[in-house]
Amino acid sequence: MTLFKGPAVPANQIHDFHPPISAEGLYWVTPVPSTGLTLSENGKTATLQMSNVSVIDQPKWPAMDAKTAPAMMDFKLVLKATDEPVTYEDPARQYRFDGFKASAQLEATFRVPSIDFIFKTDPLETSTSDFAVMGFEANGKYYGSVKS
Amino acid sequence: MTDPVRRRLMQLGVFSLAGSSLAGLPRGQSASESCSPVIPRNHAPSNGGPCPYPIPWLDKNGNHNQSPMPNVELSNIYHFQGKLARCNGFHGMGTDNRGNRLAWGTATTDYSYMAGEYWAGRRSRQSIFAHT
Repeated sequence: MTLFKGPAVPANQIHDFHPPISAEGLYWVTPVPSTGLTLSENGKTATLQMSNVSVIDQPKWPAMDAKTAPAMMDFKLVLKATDEPVTYEDPARQYRFDGFKASAQLEATFRVPSIDFIFKTDPLETSTSDFAVMGFEANGKYYGSVKS
Repeated sequence: MTDPVRRRLMQLGVFSLAGSSLAGLPRGQSASESCSPVIPRNHAPSNGGPCPYPIPWLDKNGNHNQSPMPNVELSNIYHFQGKLARCNGFHGMGTDNRGNRLAWGTATTDYSYMAGEYWAGRRSRQSIFAHT
């Protein structure tokens, strides 16, 4: 997540919080404890909530020499599926996603102890997102197991 | 380069290596940045690591990631099947511990979860991951 002092344009970027890129190359991916993801009974609402996630603050990201500082993140992400189905599939690239368009809202807190910095977003309800989907995906060796 | 750093590199023989057997390597690759696989100890098997790995062809920007949108690969993990959600374009406001009001989010601020089965280390595994 990027923070800005002033209008949200690159010149005003003052923090950028994300997990490190893994040795395997996974990009900003972090493991989730089994209690971190909750799905409603009908499967239409998903809540991803984690506390004290180790991340880095990289204010000058994406510069290659962007320095990092250890940081911690708490966040809550709520997705709600609509009734509008979507399917994204590419046999050549071996992926298929079947799901629904959705809405998504996010609230989070970030802490950078080394500079005594804490940032808390406004409540979940005040956030907006441009694109969200939720459903089921199969790719790679599992692609052949889903029916087109 | 500071003197202590230079002295340390001399002790490690980095400069002499660069002039001989490593001369043909691309710039930036150093002896200390070995990507060699781990040699098993005590006759342990060698089946690869338990961690998932990225979409191999998803490397348009050299970072195995792309912003979610219709008709693109949404997973960050290859050889994966399971529940997945992905979203982006978050925007909002917040407050820091000095009372400053700050804007957060960009068109590429994206989050996801991938909950299910992935293949790594020559067998299937169950887990949940998030892209944040």
